[in-house]
Amino acid sequence: MATAGVRLLRNLASSVAVLAVILFVAFGLPAINRMVPAGSDQVGGRAYGVGAGVTVVPPPDARIDLTSTRPGNDRGTVLFLLGPVRYVIVVTPFGGSIDEAAGKLRTKITSTRGYQVTDGEHPYTTAGGLTGIQGCYSAPGRLGRYAVFLSDGRSIEVTVSGSEGELAAQMAQIEASIASIAQR
Amino acid sequence: MTAVPVRPTPRSARAVRSLAMPAFWLLVALFVICGMRLFGILETAYGKYPRATLAALVLFGLYAVPFWLFIVSMDFLEREPALLLATAFGWGAAVATTVSIPGNQAIYHLASKLVSPEFAAAWGPAIAGPTTEELLKGLGVVVIVLIARAQVNSVLDGMVYGALVGLGFQVIEDIVYAVNAVAVAGQGDAIGPVIATVFLRGFLAGLWSHTIFSALVGGGIAYFLVHQERSTLNRLAGAMVGFGGAWLLHFLWNSPLLADGVGGGASGLLLGLFVKGMPALILVLSLARLARTREARFYLAQLGAIHEPQIATPEEVGTLGDPHTRARARRHAKRIAGVKGERAVRALQRAQCRYAVELARLRTIHGTLDPRTDPVLRHRRRAVLDARYRMAVLGLPEALPGTHKRGHALWWALLAVFVVLLVFSALRALGGS
Repeated sequence: MATAGVRLLRNLASSVAVLAVILFVAFGLPAINRMVPAGSDQVGGRAYGVGAGVTVVPPPDARIDLTSTRPGNDRGTVLFLLGPVRYVIVVTPFGGSIDEAAGKLRTKITSTRGYQVTDGEHPYTTAGGLTGIQGCYSAPGRLGRYAVFLSDGRSIEVTVSGSEGELAAQMAQIEASIASIAQR
Repeated sequence: MTAVPVRPTPRSARAVRSLAMPAFWLLVALFVICGMRLFGILETAYGKYPRATLAALVLFGLYAVPFWLFIVSMDFLEREPALLLATAFGWGAAVATTVSIPGNQAIYHLASKLVSPEFAAAWGPAIAGPTTEELLKGLGVVVIVLIARAQVNSVLDGMVYGALVGLGFQVIEDIVYAVNAVAVAGQGDAIGPVIATVFLRGFLAGLWSHTIFSALVGGGIAYFLVHQERSTLNRLAGAMVGFGGAWLLHFLWNSPLLADGVGGGASGLLLGLFVKGMPALILVLSLARLARTREARFYLAQLGAIHEPQIATPEEVGTLGDPHTRARARRHAKRIAGVKGERAVRALQRAQCRYAVELARLRTIHGTLDPRTDPVLRHRRRAVLDARYRMAVLGLPEALPGTHKRGHALWWALLAVFVVLLVFSALRALGGS
C-alpha cells in the first residue's frame, strides 16, 4: 500500500506528464512546424489551379505559402508571396449577384480593425472574359487592392496587400496575374 | 480471480483531499489560462457580431442540456459528483479547445509542406483533428482520475466523464463554427448562418461527434483503472483500444471518404452522413449499455442478496436495472395515484439504489455487512422503508411497470413526425428540393 507521500509524488509526476503533453501540443508542434520552411515552391509564370476549375498565372517571382493554400473540388484558397506583398485568391460557392459578392468582400476587408475601402469601384474584365469589380483599400501602414468575379456559381475574391513602396514595385506583375484568372 | 466490474467509492473519499493533489492546482492554473484565452476568442467574436455570437451561445447552450441529462442519466445507480461533471465539461470547453487550435494548425501546415496542399486540404482535418483533440480530451479524464481517483469506479463512470469532456468541446467548437459561418456569409451580424450551423453541426453531425468519441476514450481509461485483477498488458490494451477506436472513428468522420455522399443529390449526401456517423453512435451506445448493465448487475446483486421484500422485491430489483422499466414503473404509479404516486416511486427507486451502493461499499471495501450496527446503512435502510410507507399510503404496493400501452403510440407518432421533419429540413439544407 502506497503511503501518502508516495501517492503525492506519483500525482506530481502524472501532473507533470499531463502538462508536458499540453505544452507539446500548444508550443512543441508549432515550433516543429516553424522549423520546416513554408515557401518551398516557386510557382510563378505558369498556370496554377486555385480550386473549382479556377486558374491563375502568378507573377514570375511569386512563391506559394503552403500553409495558407487549400485547393478543393468546389472551392479553393491560395496565398502567393512576392517578398512582403500578399496576393490571395479565394474561390467559394456563391449564389448572389456581382454587387452582393463585392459587398461581401468589402465587409470582410473592413471587418478587420483599421481597414477602410478607399476608392470607388469600377468594372474589370480578365483576359479570359470573366467580368467583375475592382477597388482599393487601406490599413495602417498598408495599401491594398481587391477584385471580385463570378463564375460557374462561385465567387472569386482577390486581395493584394503590402506597404506602398512594395506594392507599387510589384503591381504591374500582379495586375497581369489578375488578368490571367480564368475558369476552365 | 473473479472479475470485478465495479469498485465502489469508499466512504473515506472526500472532495477536500483533492486540494492536496498537485493535479488539482495544475487544473486550476489551466482553467485560468485557457479560460482567459477562450474568453478572448468569444469576446472578439462578440465585438464583431454581437447578436450572432449571443444567439450561438444561447442555442448551443440549450442544445447541450438534453445531451447532459442523457449522459448523467446513464449513471443512475451511483451518480457522480456534480462538481466533477462540471469539471469534465469545463476541460473540454476551455482547455481541450484552446490548446488544440495551435496543435491542429501545426499538423495541418506540416502535412501541406511535407506532402502537398492538396493532401492537406483533403486529409489534414482527418489527421490533425483526432490526433490532438482525442489526446487533449482524454487528458481531461486523466486529470479527473488524478484529482478524484475514487470516483472513477467503473467503465461506465469513465464513459460518462469522457462524454462530458467531449460535450464541452463540441459546444464551444460549434459556437466558433457558427460565428465563422456568419463571417463567411458576409451579411453582417445575421442570425441565419447561426441557425444553419445549429442544424448542420448540431443535428446532422452532432449525434456522432466529440461526445461519442471521448466516451470511448474515457471508457478505455476507466477500464485500465478498474480492472486491476487483470494483467497490466490487458489493461493497457483496453486503454489503447478506447483511444484507438475514438481516433479511428474521428478520422473516418473527418476524412474525405463519402464526402460527396452515397449516390447523388441531397438525399445521397444525407445517406453518406448517416453511413459515416451511425456506426460510431451504435457502437458507443452499445458499449455504454453493456457497461451500465454490468454496473447495475453488480449493485443490484447486493440488493437481491438480502432477500427482504420490504426493501426490494425480486421484481423491483429486476426493474431497477433498466432505465426504461424504471420509467415505466413511475408512469404506472402516475396512472394509479397521480403525480404523488410517480414521485413516491421515484423516491423509492433512488433510496433502493443508494442502499444497494452502500451495501456494495460495505461488502467489497470494508468487508463487513451488519445493517444493525452500521449507522450509514441503517440510515439508508430507513429511507427505503419511509419511501415504501409513502407508496403504501397511496395504494401502491410495489414499484413495478404496468401493462398499459396507451400513450406510447402518441410518443412514437410524435417522434416519427420529428424525424420526418428533420430529414426534410436536412435535405433542404443540403441543397435538395
